[in-house]
Amino acid sequence: MIISNYMKNEHRECDTLFASAEEAIALGEWDVAEERFLAFSNEALTHFKKEEEELFPAFEAQTGMTEGPTQVMRYEHEQVRGLLGNMAESLEAKDKDACLSLAESMMILLQQHNMKEEQMLYAMCDRVLPAELKEKTLETMKNMSL
Amino acid sequence: MLNQNGLSLDQAPPIFVVFRFFFVGALFGILSGLFVLFFQETIFNAHSTEAIILTHTLTLGVMLSFMFGALFQMLPVIAGIKLTSPDLKANLLLYPFIVGIIALLFAFKLTTVSWLFLLASVLLGGSLLGIIVILLKNLFSLENHTSTSKGTTYTLLSLGIAVLFALYLTGTLAGVTEGSAYSHIKEAHYSFGLYGWIALLIISISFQVIEMFYVTPPFPKLFLNYMPATLFILLLLASLVGIFYPSIWLLADILLALLLGSYAVLTLKRFTQRKRPLTDATVWFWRLGLSSLLLSMLSLLLTLFIDYDPIKALSYIAFSSFGLSIVFAMFYKIVPFLTWFHLNSQGYISPPMMHQIIHPKMMMKHLYIHTATIVTFIFAIFIPQLIFLAGLLTILSFGWAGYQVVNAHLLYRKTQKTGKKFNMGSMY
Ligand SMILES: [Fe+2]
Ligand SMILES: [Fe+2]
Repeated sequence: MIISNYMKNEHRECDTLFASAEEAIALGEWDVAEERFLAFSNEALTHFKKEEEELFPAFEAQTGMTEGPTQVMRYEHEQVRGLLGNMAESLEAKDKDACLSLAESMMILLQQHNMKEEQMLYAMCDRVLPAELKEKTLETMKNMSL
Repeated sequence: MLNQNGLSLDQAPPIFVVFRFFFVGALFGILSGLFVLFFQETIFNAHSTEAIILTHTLTLGVMLSFMFGALFQMLPVIAGIKLTSPDLKANLLLYPFIVGIIALLFAFKLTTVSWLFLLASVLLGGSLLGIIVILLKNLFSLENHTSTSKGTTYTLLSLGIAVLFALYLTGTLAGVTEGSAYSHIKEAHYSFGLYGWIALLIISISFQVIEMFYVTPPFPKLFLNYMPATLFILLLLASLVGIFYPSIWLLADILLALLLGSYAVLTLKRFTQRKRPLTDATVWFWRLGLSSLLLSMLSLLLTLFIDYDPIKALSYIAFSSFGLSIVFAMFYKIVPFLTWFHLNSQGYISPPMMHQIIHPKMMMKHLYIHTATIVTFIFAIFIPQLIFLAGLLTILSFGWAGYQVVNAHLLYRKTQKTGKKFNMGSMY
């Protein structure tokens, strides 16, 4: 379960960063909000990169499923990236209502996405990938940055 | 060809399926408000025909419609179940189900017309057992089970059992079966319906959505793994042993109250540990629902030892408040998100945002109306005149929910007609 554990942990860290950014937005502390939002998007985007460049290709190569679950996950990453862009714009414009509204959509989207990964994809990765490959993938992911 | 839109939308049911179930639920809610106006305080006597009619309007018409709407939406996410032709399946459930409920309500009222009971049995039994079998088949073939998918399996089994017992009861009322075990089966029927289906479904779904929507610590593992099975086995044992020793229900009710009460406390505590500090109306709907569950279980415990009708009435009202409050909490997350999500996935450049679909202030207003409804019902136990106000508030509350569904639907249609789209075709 080394893949599941590591990736789940990253999801939780994203949640914490997101929650603190959202709180600052609600309070209208725009400078703090921007800083925290940046920390959150960095964390989320790095996590996506780890999946798209390491974990998903390893899974696809092992199972031969290139248009299955990983494709759905990639598409959902795109949706989240789009929302991150919109959120950044509304932060810039200091539009609280729009920003909180986008935050809400993004949170549900991201949670729904994470849930599918944790319950299906990561579990499958831990099952189908050979132990050695798993450790190699994990090591590479740990050293990645944006 | 790779169709990016289809990929993600594949996993979500057509939005109209969910809207339709929610709208029907709201209409039955308005009907139950009308029944309150007509039946008045007779509804507080659990054995009256009026109470039975109102209970079934609420449990079947309102709760089941909302819960199946939510299930159709959530099963792909929480359990990875992809129903084939969900639209058709939903309609095959929904329409016989609506006619079945109406037949059942008339049958209760005109006790002598036995064919109405048979008609209701065929329509409700057929549609519900059909969808239960389909969903269970999907659930049983899952490779990776989660606490929620396991809990949902028990909850659907419970609903199936509640329906089978109901068929025995309607069969007796129609004069088909002799009904020697009528009162025992009746107790088993509503126990499975209220605790095994309604409470356990809310519990199983909450295992995931509380953590997901409000970013709380997860539930204790022990609770996640054993609570649904324990509740189900308890109901099963009580139903079996109860044939020979009816007094077993006393023990079963005590254990049930402790189990559900501890769930309420445990979940209320999670809401104090949220990492997302923002408090929207749905958080208050959850809190109200969980506190109501606690109150309902405490009054249930009291009724076992004290024979005082107002406490019984309080227990019913609080349990209804539990179910309805949490239905509304889910409703206000699902409707705006789904509307936005479907439009966004279809490639509209600026789909309406969640707050534009249902504004948080509209949710807060509904929270006040709903809370006022529950409080008025409780006071009406002692001040009968208040029952009219409670009925009117019920109508207002469900009218409010129905309006939100219609409004989201119109906004969805409008965006589809006039919204600008990214040209997805040119990307490939
Ligand atoms: Fe992902
Ligand atoms: Fe992920």
